Amino acid sequence: MEIYWNAPMRDDDMPSQIALVERSVARGYGGIVVAPIETLPMRTPIRRLMARGVPVVVVGTDLGIPAGPGLSYVMSDEQLAGQMAGRRIGTILHGQGNVAIVGIRPQLTSLVERERSLEATLVREFPGIRVVVRRFGLAGAPQEQLSANEILSGGERIDAIAALTLGSTRGAYYALVATGKEKTVKLVGFDQDLIPPLRTGGIDAVVAQNTYAMGRIAIEKLDQERHGIATPGVTRVPPVLMTQENIDSAEIHAILDLSWWKGQ
Amino acid sequence: MTMAGRRIAVAAGIVLLLAGGVAGVWLYRTLGHGGPLKTVYAAFDKQDDWKEYGGTWQYVDGVMRNISDERGAKLMSGSVGWTNYSVEADVLLLGQYGDAGLILRASDEEQGVDAYHGYMAGLRDLDNALLLGRADYGWKEYVAKTIAPRVYAQQWYHLKFLAYGCDFAVATTTPSGETISAAVEDPGCLPAGRFGLKSYNTGAEWKNVVVRPATAQDLASMTGGVTPPRAEPNAYPLGSIPAPYDRYFEPLQRDLEAHHSDINARTIDSLRLLPPDVSTQVTLHGVVTLTSPVLYVQDSTGGLAIPAAHIQAPVEIGDEIEAHGDAVPRDFSSVLEHADVRPLWSHTPVLPVAVTAYQASTGAFDAEYIEIEGVLQGKQDEEGNRHVLVLDDGSQSFRAIAVGEGPTAHFGNLKLRSRIRLRGICVVDPAYTKDQTSFAVLLPSLRDVEVLAGPPWWTTGHVLALIIGTLLLILSGFACYIQIERWRMRAVLKERERLAHDMHDTLAQSFAGLGFQLEAMQQELHEGGEVASQLKLARAMVRDSHEEARRSIAALRPDPLESAELLPALKSCAARMINSNTAIQIETVCEGSERSIPLRTADALLHIGQEAITNAVRHAHPSHVRIMLMYAKNSVELVVADDGCGFHLSSGSAGFGTRGMQRRAAAIGAKLKLSSVAGRGTTVRVSASLPLSFPKALWRTVRMVQPWKRDRNEHDMQ
Repeated sequence: MEIYWNAPMRDDDMPSQIALVERSVARGYGGIVVAPIETLPMRTPIRRLMARGVPVVVVGTDLGIPAGPGLSYVMSDEQLAGQMAGRRIGTILHGQGNVAIVGIRPQLTSLVERERSLEATLVREFPGIRVVVRRFGLAGAPQEQLSANEILSGGERIDAIAALTLGSTRGAYYALVATGKEKTVKLVGFDQDLIPPLRTGGIDAVVAQNTYAMGRIAIEKLDQERHGIATPGVTRVPPVLMTQENIDSAEIHAILDLSWWKGQ
Repeated sequence: MTMAGRRIAVAAGIVLLLAGGVAGVWLYRTLGHGGPLKTVYAAFDKQDDWKEYGGTWQYVDGVMRNISDERGAKLMSGSVGWTNYSVEADVLLLGQYGDAGLILRASDEEQGVDAYHGYMAGLRDLDNALLLGRADYGWKEYVAKTIAPRVYAQQWYHLKFLAYGCDFAVATTTPSGETISAAVEDPGCLPAGRFGLKSYNTGAEWKNVVVRPATAQDLASMTGGVTPPRAEPNAYPLGSIPAPYDRYFEPLQRDLEAHHSDINARTIDSLRLLPPDVSTQVTLHGVVTLTSPVLYVQDSTGGLAIPAAHIQAPVEIGDEIEAHGDAVPRDFSSVLEHADVRPLWSHTPVLPVAVTAYQASTGAFDAEYIEIEGVLQGKQDEEGNRHVLVLDDGSQSFRAIAVGEGPTAHFGNLKLRSRIRLRGICVVDPAYTKDQTSFAVLLPSLRDVEVLAGPPWWTTGHVLALIIGTLLLILSGFACYIQIERWRMRAVLKERERLAHDMHDTLAQSFAGLGFQLEAMQQELHEGGEVASQLKLARAMVRDSHEEARRSIAALRPDPLESAELLPALKSCAARMINSNTAIQIETVCEGSERSIPLRTADALLHIGQEAITNAVRHAHPSHVRIMLMYAKNSVELVVADDGCGFHLSSGSAGFGTRGMQRRAAAIGAKLKLSSVAGRGTTVRVSASLPLSFPKALWRTVRMVQPWKRDRNEHDMQ
């Protein structure tokens, strides 16, 4: 199988991602794996691909188009991710305290699912914990840092921050360091970016997507689609909670290890 | 070779020539600077030699700068046919988390992350490394050699990257003068390709770029004669956290320590409400939206200008900065004067707000990053390297200004009346609007101008050209029609001539022979006998018939006529009809300025004239026949008049010949007038129109359709 790989040069460059998808079809590739930057703008391009009979595997988010022949999904299990983060916060706060949730992004349905699962877990399992601040996700880590700065220097006492995205995790960590609260305010983040602070305790835990497994499954699904083999419409890959205690475990290494990449 | 074979050979030759031409154009376009490589000192000011793949490129004072922190911006040049060569340059990284360097042997470049086939070597400040690797729409890193103590942003490093055979070597000279090098062998390497500049996740600058042919000695001088190790993508041992993750921590901590920001910063829109006459010291955070000619920053509440800022380290568009200075409220936005500016973070691009020209003209978006569309009405260069576009959108006009020595080819290629989209800073400052428009847009670069649609086709010039083209088409069609008619007439005349020849050779000759036979028989017989008288009658009948045949032959045999030959032809015809012993005087007269007569008209006039002369000679017994041809302004008139016995027109004597004349006259739209008085001769007068010259015909058409005259006539009638 020949694979053409490309990506927008910015994380927020949705028009370029759509252009890449359309260009790939024009070149006659037999199928497409795409991890949308946003949910809604990608719907029409994907529907057009399906109308042309091009198999598509969408990674990371549900576009709202039902899975079926020609379209399948590979997603991180966001329900489980939200539960993992909620239970971690509940545990380290011993069931009592104030929590800020940052990085809320309605643009990606997977993140909405992640947030709702987190809040539902806190309400259901830790009634002594209150979510006192909610903030939307911003364009990048610096804005997220300023946003977290405002939260930390505001009047409300904060015991833990749940950062729903990679950028908000980084921004919250920077804010904790900048305000000297990295030891007093717990940070539970999402998506593996800042591994080193896990070792130092600057970040309590990160819910990591098993991106290696997701990528492998996506390519396998596409190959099966192209050969007319029925595949499950939606495959959910369980995430992993990374903490200082398990960072050197084999399970975490399997996710973080880059030695699989030998080039072409 | 047969005819078919020759045709196939010719067709194949043409196809080969065409294919060769197309292949030549393709090769020229693909190879770029084809031909053998010589030492090239890259000239950034020749914009046509470079092709951008992402990034925001600016050329200032001999330095090429990419101020974007996109992942994998490339600027490419050279030929895909270049094989063994080196590229060297001075390279400076603008940001803390990326890499920048040189590409060689590249092909199939596209916009995107690592979207090319080729090799790249450079410097990365994220983990303080000298890099070497290969991109095949994905990145294989062969070398990441640590530079101690670190790779500093904002400092120049000399970098040399060489390819010879399948060996690749890179060397850098640090600011302290230390040289660090690395080399690999890549079996199955890419054999040839272009060179270029590339940055990843940070802005960067390049200067003194030189490309040279490389030899084995050049390679040996970089490797010290040691055979380079075989290239293997960097692999991280299982059972440990991959090195890159831990390597991130050091620059992370470095930046955290260096950039503690003031958490009590003010929002930009709150500055507008400060007292106008008091200088207020403030601190603010914002993202850089423009660096030249004035620094502009923006936060989620608005934008602001920071003129004459004291900038601690170079900033680029997308950088988050902290600025401390005197806030001065202005009409629509504030200005921060005497400001100290220091960058906090990069990678925070501001998205433009799409506005209409009317919305921008209200001043509500002053100092903010906007996206706006308009129709290009003019462009000009102004002092201070300002490239100015003048645009219209609805009721508003506005100016768009790009400053600097950046790419000007794009500016020159913009066509007036195109619909274009701009991204830049909206300003209402008269320094930019010159009080001619309500606002202006300061463009980060001319690349922020996107053509949405070219100028409309229906311009005055195009409409005029269309009308002229249509007229020419009609005239061509008319000329073709005339020519076809002429060919048809010639064919008819030729057929008649053939018939005349046939009649002369058969019928007339037979009559002549029959006459001779009858004459011979009559000479053998005695006069007075009944047989002799019958023979005499038969001879007379044969003579008459012979005479009739001669006239028919004469009528059928009009040699191709020119207008000048019409009168002589009629005179000749008359002369043939008159017996030598008959005293009929023929007079021909031509009046008016002789002109060309259409062939069809001349033919009809000839036959009408012949018929009139025949009638006069045979039936009127004239002593004088006058043939006149008179040219008037737009017509020609033929008159055949005799002084013979004449006849009463009411007697019903108009025979077959007269009806023939009327039919011929009607066929060419001519008027035929026959006048005769018993005892005083007969006059046949036929008047035919002549075609107008083109200007006269056009004028006549215009006069026929002129609406003002028609309207006036209608008005008069009312």
